[in-house]
Amino acid sequence: MLAYLIRRLVYGVGVVFGVLFFLFVLFFTVTSPDDVARKALGERVPPAVIEQWKVNHGYDLPLFPGPGAWQENMLFEHYRRMLTFDFGRSDADDTPIIERIRSGMVPSLTLTLPLFALSLLTAIPLALLVAFFRETYIDRLGVVISVLAMSVSILLYIIGAQYLVGRLLHWFPISGFDSDPQLIVRFLALPLLVGVLAGIGGDVRFYRTVFLEESNTDYVRTARAKGCGEGRIMARHVFRNSLIPLLTRVILAIPFLFMGSLLLESFFGIPGLGAITVDAIQGNDFSVLRTMVYIGSLLFVFGQILTDLSYGLVDPRVRLE
Amino acid sequence: MESHIVSNAVVAGLLAGLAGLVLLIRRSRMWSDALSEIWHRRRLAIGLIAFYVIVALLDSVAWVGGMEDGQDAVARHQAASVIDRLFADSQERSYSAPLADFEFYGGAPLRHPGSHLLGTDLIGRDVLYLSLKGARVALLIGGLTSLLAIPLALLFGVPAGYFGGRLDDVVFFVMSTLASMPGLLLLIALIMVLGKSTLAICFALAVTGWVGFCRVSRGETLKLRELEYVSAARALGISESQILLRHILPNLMHLVIITFVLMFSGLVLSEAILSWLGIGVDGSWGQMIDQARNELSRDPVVWWNVSAAGVALFGLILAVNFVGDALRDTLDPRTARETE
Amino acid sequence: MGNGHRRRSWPALLFMAALFMAALCGCTNNPYSEADDQRKILYKSYREAPRTLDPAVAYTTGAHAITGEVYETLLEYHYLKRPYVLIPGLAAALPEAREVDADWTLYRFELRKGLLYQDDPCFALDGVSRETREVVTGDIAFQLMRLADPGVNSPVAEPFGNIRGFSEFAERLSEARDADAEFGALPIREQYAAVGPMQGVRVQGRYGLEVEVSNTYPQILYWFAMPFTAPVPWEAVAYYDGEGGRPRFADHPVGTGPYRVTEYEKHSRIILEANPNWYGVLHPEWRAPGAIYPESGAPGDLEAGRLDEAVVGRALPFIERIEFRREKESIPYFNKFLQGYYDAAGIIKESFDKVIHEGGLSEDMRATGISLEKSVEPSVFYVGFNMDDEVVGAAGGESTRKLRQAMSLVIDTDEYSRLFSNGRGVPAQSPLPPGLFGYDPDYRNPFRQVDLELARELVAEAGYPGGIDPATGTPLRLTFDTSDTSAQGRLRFEFFTRAWRQLGIDVVIEATNYNQFQEKVRNGAYQIFMWGWFADYPDPENFLFLLWSEMARSKSGGPNTANFSNPRYDELYLSVKARPNDSIRLAEIEEMRGILEYERPWIELTHSEAYSLFHGWLAYVKPFGMSFPMTKYRDLDVELRARRRAEWNRPILWPLYVILALGVVVVVPGILTFMRERQ
Repeated sequence: MLAYLIRRLVYGVGVVFGVLFFLFVLFFTVTSPDDVARKALGERVPPAVIEQWKVNHGYDLPLFPGPGAWQENMLFEHYRRMLTFDFGRSDADDTPIIERIRSGMVPSLTLTLPLFALSLLTAIPLALLVAFFRETYIDRLGVVISVLAMSVSILLYIIGAQYLVGRLLHWFPISGFDSDPQLIVRFLALPLLVGVLAGIGGDVRFYRTVFLEESNTDYVRTARAKGCGEGRIMARHVFRNSLIPLLTRVILAIPFLFMGSLLLESFFGIPGLGAITVDAIQGNDFSVLRTMVYIGSLLFVFGQILTDLSYGLVDPRVRLE
Repeated sequence: MESHIVSNAVVAGLLAGLAGLVLLIRRSRMWSDALSEIWHRRRLAIGLIAFYVIVALLDSVAWVGGMEDGQDAVARHQAASVIDRLFADSQERSYSAPLADFEFYGGAPLRHPGSHLLGTDLIGRDVLYLSLKGARVALLIGGLTSLLAIPLALLFGVPAGYFGGRLDDVVFFVMSTLASMPGLLLLIALIMVLGKSTLAICFALAVTGWVGFCRVSRGETLKLRELEYVSAARALGISESQILLRHILPNLMHLVIITFVLMFSGLVLSEAILSWLGIGVDGSWGQMIDQARNELSRDPVVWWNVSAAGVALFGLILAVNFVGDALRDTLDPRTARETE
Repeated sequence: MGNGHRRRSWPALLFMAALFMAALCGCTNNPYSEADDQRKILYKSYREAPRTLDPAVAYTTGAHAITGEVYETLLEYHYLKRPYVLIPGLAAALPEAREVDADWTLYRFELRKGLLYQDDPCFALDGVSRETREVVTGDIAFQLMRLADPGVNSPVAEPFGNIRGFSEFAERLSEARDADAEFGALPIREQYAAVGPMQGVRVQGRYGLEVEVSNTYPQILYWFAMPFTAPVPWEAVAYYDGEGGRPRFADHPVGTGPYRVTEYEKHSRIILEANPNWYGVLHPEWRAPGAIYPESGAPGDLEAGRLDEAVVGRALPFIERIEFRREKESIPYFNKFLQGYYDAAGIIKESFDKVIHEGGLSEDMRATGISLEKSVEPSVFYVGFNMDDEVVGAAGGESTRKLRQAMSLVIDTDEYSRLFSNGRGVPAQSPLPPGLFGYDPDYRNPFRQVDLELARELVAEAGYPGGIDPATGTPLRLTFDTSDTSAQGRLRFEFFTRAWRQLGIDVVIEATNYNQFQEKVRNGAYQIFMWGWFADYPDPENFLFLLWSEMARSKSGGPNTANFSNPRYDELYLSVKARPNDSIRLAEIEEMRGILEYERPWIELTHSEAYSLFHGWLAYVKPFGMSFPMTKYRDLDVELRARRRAEWNRPILWPLYVILALGVVVVVPGILTFMRERQ
């Protein structure tokens, strides 16, 4: 078990290195340092100021390691800084990126954690229900509704919800955020609703497929033939044994909860990490974009390792060599 | 080369390919049975998809000439498709409601009263025309990207699963690296590098989308390799490439089809989001929705352009999802349903 | 039998129901805390986080919305009088002007005594334990030196070059920094002291200031009403360096104004509170013009309620707090305004027809107590040609001129206005907007009236019969470059290209991101572009200079993006610049207008018109036109606001009950049937 864990970790580190290299190539060949400088400083800037800015931000070194000087180049700097979490400052407004991440993490989590829990709590029981009633009109209705729900673009859900619920029915504010505990529920209600609605179609379909697959296996059919109640079968056998594919999907999603939802945060004015990312995209802020992709990758690798570990806990048949 | 000639050639190629595919399928019993079952169960959805395909094809056949009438003096010298010609010179000045005789704001008489089935948009373009043109864009995004991503996935996944060893390690590493970057962000970064032409966006979508299927095909190949007849073939000394082509690949086809269909809808929906971020494809439904979404707040409401694009998008995705579901139920042995 | 399953899902459903009920209890769409309902807080919104609040650099409306409240200047604009009139702000009186010699004029300012900065920890520098200090003219001189400092990179350094010794100071500073790396590491204040003051800026004691300005630039006085010349404490610049957890000076303003920034989460909200150290609060007995509500105004102010007895001469400010919330999307912003959660708003184009009927407010709007103020802004929006380009520019002489004239003849500004700004705005015939000297309301630019026939003739004469480029045999291809990649921006460009297609000219839109667009502009790789300009101050020079050859983008990186260069125009400009508003100036302006009419470097579109909406509980509003917030003059009726909000925002709950009922109706029979069948 320990050997396995170590191997996975080492592999994970390798992947992270690969990601960093890919990021470097992508972000440093896309735009020249001059462009980044001008974007941050403005247009009518004398070349001397641009040079100074480049020096301050580390953009004046050669791109790749040359003969002999393996430390004095941007590739090395890039690796060193990313690995020590020295993210530097935003290209757009010079705020330290760590600050922005710190301030954005909490709003993102207040949205994604409840969203995650609610999605699970609605989709799994619904899928169980639909699988339980398979072949009846409930099942068919469930499938049709799921597919319908999945086929609507999330943009339309957001637009519709903001119009209906925020404007016409006056139930909740259309957008905005306040971390004050008294106010926070009303701001989160609408994005949570939209988030759950937009995801529930795909989730129910997925879980239903998994449950159906499982309930068609030999041992379940045997249990049924022996007279075991359908309900108990669903709860005890089907659900438990479906845990592996379920867990893969669920645990893999956990690290990304920190990243926030780009669309929901943007439309509903929640100042989380997703909103920061969208701002960076629209403002061509490469430093922030780079950092967010990197963090996402770290979280993903972490999530994969978690998933593998969880297999061992859940399924005794899986031998982790 | 003129882009419309390329487009015409692609369309001809697609039709020929389709005809060839149909012939191939009729030869295999298993396939014809499976597909005719799907046809029976999902006639409506397949019909709907066929409608979209026909519209897209009509929009891809273009030639120069014959557009002398009309205010647009440049169009005379440019290639116009069948759809373009149907709606030539249908411009109004601004909004008009479906089948109206007068402009929506201000009440001035229209140039072609009563002829706009779905009304016109802010600058007077016929909404039905724009919706029809969006079909081609959507099919391009979904189809071309899948056509790029799936072979790419097979190219890496199958040899990795079959040969194992170093190759497998390398492929797995590349896959993991790409997969661990948040999809949307990677997509945006790629588009900034490659530009915003349709081809570039399809390519970027393919690069961010091939990993899933690569993993699946690798897994399947691993399983297939252990089958008796494959081991027998190897023992008999048949060349690897023969084995791959004749034994492994055909057994992956059902997965290919399912993946193609299911990827398709996800891609078209992703494009809508890209349009909102400003890096989508020109003329897509996503762009129409983005242009018009604020219009829902006009009073009186201008609802026809968002609805048209939304319904067109929804219709295609829904049909594709239903067909995809049916395909998976029929072709994927793991979800074969018990018979009552 | 089915019990196991039921037991599984009921708890989950109950939980969801509980959560939902809890959410319902917080069921209100008020984005603010109820505790704030009774306080005089003004709620505004903004779209983009301000880049910087450094008064030497901040040049956007968004930044000025804050710096204008926090920083004050020697002079201010009278709140009500039109045409605009300058009044003393921090200065005790308007400056005396005296011509020193043929080239220079001397302005003498006298600063009020006893002015204090807002309380701030930066003043504890130097070991002295204090929270604030008195404002001295040395602080204004300091700010002027900052404007010259190439390290600060102020976007308005150019007009200040008209101060004697300004450019020389900048040079001395650069040289000293280049010569010695250590010099550049010294604190800013010491660097300025070492290099020596500007020749034309003389500090006299604590309260006197003399500024020598070139005779050719009398407009300099307007700059003394803008935050660029606000006194800035050197302590703030030194203390807020971004190190040790302290924000940068660009994110932490320290000023003398009626408000100060107390919360600055610039990506989501910004809060300003009344400054207890403001001279209007500490010394109401001065009756300073900038600290009491004006006693006279322009015609129409009395009728509009802006010269009520109750308010005239009262001490300012009335509002205790200003809260800004970020709204990235326009619809939620406008909806919140209609719900009463923002006190004022501009009209968004989608809601225009609901709000405005026949040029005035609609019935519904008036019933809610909302009022409308229209004002033509001193601005101009235009489509420009790059005169350096071979195909459309000056090099082609007669032929390209006819091309430009033809393209100008097919753009229907009325239609453009109708589609994209609801018909608001005055169609522009020349760069000068209404309200400025030299504007002639009866002037009609012949090339700004639509004439398709003539345009076609001109295109043929230009060498492109039917729009066909003889070199290629296909329609002439031009590019329209922009950094607006939004789907809505596309519609705007489609409008233009459709108009030019009538001539057979194929104009292709090249929308790139901001970086790439600026790159194109820098390299001169653009043909057609679109731009807008808002006045810095109400003088025609501020518009005419946009076509002065010295300001050409290719030459000096200036705002003359069309790179227009005409010797006679330049000659006239230099003359107009220095002249007072007399008949000769008028004649010269008219001649310049004639040159522009003929050469067509621009296709003028509109002078924008702002329609501002105000809720009934907001008092004494008058839109200003240039980007200066005047919150200190405004007041609100909190009672009225609280009542209206409650009235307008009652939650409508019946659909919820209907949905729940439907849900039960659909599922229960199914379950019952199934249970029966399965048994």
